Amino acid sequence: MATKASRSAARVMIAPSVLLLLGWMVIPLALTLYFSVLRYNLLMPGANPFIGVENYTYFLTDPAFTDAIINTLLLVGGVLTITVLGGIGLAILLDQPMWGQGIVRILVIAPFFVMPTVSALVWKNMFMNPVNGLFAHLASALGMQPFDFFAIAPLASIIGIVSWQWLPFATLILLTAMQSLDSEQLEAAEMDGAGPLARFRYIMLPHMARAITVVILIQTIFLLSIFAEILVTTNGGPGTASTNLTFLVYAESLLRFDVGTGSAGGVVAIILANIVAIFLMRMIGKNLDT
Amino acid sequence: MARAISTRRMALNTAIAWTIGAMIFFPILWTFLTSFKTEAQAIADPPVFFLFDWTTENYTTVQERSNYFRHFWNSVVISVGSTLIGLAIAIPAAWSMAFVPSKHTKNILMWMLSTKMLPPVGVLVPIYLIFRDLKLLDTQFGLIIVLTLINLPIIVWMLYTYFKEIPGEILEAARMDGATLRSEVLYILLPMAVPGIASTMLLNIILAWNEAFWTLNLTAAKAAPLTAFIASYSSPEGLFYAKLSAASTMAIAPILIMGWFSQKQLVRGLTFGAVK
Repeated sequence: MATKASRSAARVMIAPSVLLLLGWMVIPLALTLYFSVLRYNLLMPGANPFIGVENYTYFLTDPAFTDAIINTLLLVGGVLTITVLGGIGLAILLDQPMWGQGIVRILVIAPFFVMPTVSALVWKNMFMNPVNGLFAHLASALGMQPFDFFAIAPLASIIGIVSWQWLPFATLILLTAMQSLDSEQLEAAEMDGAGPLARFRYIMLPHMARAITVVILIQTIFLLSIFAEILVTTNGGPGTASTNLTFLVYAESLLRFDVGTGSAGGVVAIILANIVAIFLMRMIGKNLDT
Repeated sequence: MARAISTRRMALNTAIAWTIGAMIFFPILWTFLTSFKTEAQAIADPPVFFLFDWTTENYTTVQERSNYFRHFWNSVVISVGSTLIGLAIAIPAAWSMAFVPSKHTKNILMWMLSTKMLPPVGVLVPIYLIFRDLKLLDTQFGLIIVLTLINLPIIVWMLYTYFKEIPGEILEAARMDGATLRSEVLYILLPMAVPGIASTMLLNIILAWNEAFWTLNLTAAKAAPLTAFIASYSSPEGLFYAKLSAASTMAIAPILIMGWFSQKQLVRGLTFGAVK
């Protein structure tokens, strides 16, 4: 039913979105690439000479970079493990018949709506503080030494906080997948003598497989860019103990004002994120055809 | 056909689920309760739960000391503003891609999505410098621009999936009955599209309200929304748990309520239609 006139009208209607996103993507990206080959420090005004790959060699051989990569992988891997396993468990649990299902659902997804700075500061101070936190009170009530979370295990503490924020997301999506599972299939399997474990392994898990992949990919994209939680709890420390790649680039560019090195780091971050993005895009693209 | 579930089984499910739900929700409840305590009660050991002298003092203190409502208002302006501008740009685009698809439609959609995969830190330096030179640092307007652009792909995608579900035949039928383009849009398309537009708006206000990379890096005191304002509690002076709780409660309450209404849209919006 599309005519020539409606086609050109369609083009005009799409143009603003495309042009804006193109500008948003191309201009800063080109500048990042350009800055990354310059000696460019905001504290040293003057000429910004071309220095080739020097910023990259500096950034990639900095011991902080190795730490940041390891921390990034631990952060993403840790949170994924907790949220995906927890999400599968919660999705199956919430799919069971019970009283007040709607209310439990609301309680479980609530953390997702708490802004990152609030959840990080509430956990850090009111729960994990070694003197006044609830965990410290609990420990002393049980006759144990309070645990100084952010001094002894800063990265693990951040993994805990971020997992609390993302568990609802995994649960909600996996629950949506569970609810599309035909219950007659489960009943038939049960009548044929399949135990709970077999039903989980051969019916529920394969049914959720696609949703699990989507959760992993989307969360990875967001988790690679974790920033606020680190900024307000540990500021990347002690040392580089809780610095991830995003935080390292931020520190290079806006704390040490080294625009050149920061830009090189930004390019590295883009390459890393793209590896994940390619897989995610393929999955979403396949779904678009059906 | 649903099986009869024994009452015992039902009670067991209920008990386990409520216990876990309460544990997950507890930090939010605790923040809410602490916001009505005095600073001394907030750190009391053993902790006090409901039996304390409820006071609203923290709320007034937070407002008086730091002009809380200015930051609250910044959050409102930035999240609602960026969402409305985003909708104005995205509605025509999603509309035409859903109703006048061409062979490029899929590629355009996928490309838009790919811009969302770009890690913000990859463009932090140039955006910061451009904002500095254009005097956009620490302005509401600057943040509205950035948040509009980062959420535009999600808005286009969500709208597209909603518009796709409107049957095209109904338009043809209306046209055959002699409906003009104006009445076609006004009386047929709009009523069917409004629920989708409303859900898209809701989800994007939530995302923009909680955005904490650009808001932290591009604002200082003047245009700081709540995400950035709350971050100032990371280097506090003296006792501050009750005040932190009051500031936090006000920052999350409106979004929590909106979020509960948009559970279903959340799945659609954040998985780009990959899970329905």
